[in-house]
Amino acid sequence: MKIRNNFNYTHSLFILLGGVILLFLIAPLAGMFLSVKAPELFATLEDREVSESIFRTLAISALATGIAAIFALPLSYILARKKFPLKGLLEAIIDLPVMIPHSAAGIALLGFISRDSALGSLASSFGLNLVGSNVAIAMAMAFVSLPFLINSAKDGFAAVPVRLEQAAETLGATKFRIFTQISLPLAKRSVVSGLLLMFARGMSEFGAVVIVAYHPMTTPVLIFDRFNSFGLSYARPVAVIFVTVTLILFILLRIYQKRKC
Amino acid sequence: MLKIENLVYSIGDFKLGPVSFSMEKGDYLAVFGPSGAGKSLLMELIAGLRFPSSGSICIDSREYINTGAQNRPVGMLFQDYALFPHLSVFENIAYSLKLKKTNRSTIEKRVKELSEYFSIGNLLKREIEGLSGGEKQRVALARAIAYDPLILLLDEPLSALDEDLRLEAVETLASLKRAGQTIIHVTHNRNEVGTLATRNLNLSDGQIK
Repeated sequence: MKIRNNFNYTHSLFILLGGVILLFLIAPLAGMFLSVKAPELFATLEDREVSESIFRTLAISALATGIAAIFALPLSYILARKKFPLKGLLEAIIDLPVMIPHSAAGIALLGFISRDSALGSLASSFGLNLVGSNVAIAMAMAFVSLPFLINSAKDGFAAVPVRLEQAAETLGATKFRIFTQISLPLAKRSVVSGLLLMFARGMSEFGAVVIVAYHPMTTPVLIFDRFNSFGLSYARPVAVIFVTVTLILFILLRIYQKRKC
Repeated sequence: MLKIENLVYSIGDFKLGPVSFSMEKGDYLAVFGPSGAGKSLLMELIAGLRFPSSGSICIDSREYINTGAQNRPVGMLFQDYALFPHLSVFENIAYSLKLKKTNRSTIEKRVKELSEYFSIGNLLKREIEGLSGGEKQRVALARAIAYDPLILLLDEPLSALDEDLRLEAVETLASLKRAGQTIIHVTHNRNEVGTLATRNLNLSDGQIK
């Protein structure tokens, strides 16, 4: 009986402590939503600059995710299946964008795509200026969000039994067909989760994007711009709309993750 | 039919071989040995899932030592059956035929023929999840022989089955043998292949005893 009381006391304390953290996460967002007045919100929804920036942000992030996936998924598969020297170092490099300040990532990217760099001068020779372009935004989004896709897909591929791939091989499948017909469909949930996480993380990026392209404005940059230029009450409705879009994506991700395979 | 000469494979401290033996068409070879004897390694070498450091694997007078699993005329039944859980029973059985770009009507005819042979005709639309152990084994056997491999490898085919399903499974294997299928059956249990095997091979610590 004494043990049972102690058990309940501990759990009550844990629930209380956990409740504080949940409140810390929910209160600022709830406060932001509650403090926006309906007329402000509707006016902001009709603001072309806002709707265009949201469309731009979603479109560029989706494109960056799609293009990055072509390169990232084979890498995830190799990391899940092969052992090779310096694999740990490679995995650490992949995680690096999560660790470093995103403004620093933006500075690094700026050096990589400026006219003085090899890539920048190559683009210039085709009449393209990467800095301040949609391409720069996509690169900044991809740079900071790629670890989410690579790591999620890697876990998914690692969970596919090697025996199934071997069975496909004995039935005549090439390595490429094994990847596309066996490994990828069986890792689908993790791969799609990774794609959605990368997309959501990419569209939320501010630090790296603002350095490589202030204009054209993505929504996180627009929120900052309105706050900086006009104050909190102008930035808040844009933030509420963008957070709502993010929440819808997040809810879709959770539904997908909980769905039966 | 199958001629293996001086097959050697090393992994870590374990060395398999040199192993040499031969089989004629229609033979049912039982490979015995305790756990860790190298039985599954031998299967994987014959299937082409691993490559030996030296030796020769000739099937119908053709050397396959450097040929990968996808191009060997060898079917394999894995211990855990390794059925594709995202495909239906029909799609599992038809998998190798689709890879060979066989036309749809031929695939349907072959799958129907196999499903009748293994009494799984009522399962073709089912998902793998939910099949019993015996049903899974029959689906896996149908899948392994769908493209008419010259040799069928069975890796501990009866170990995952309950006692009452084993007799049924032995009868299925016996009928394959009667149909002239060349079979190598790996097991640690001598009793299970008593009536099936036409030849025996005892493997211990990587060597034929």
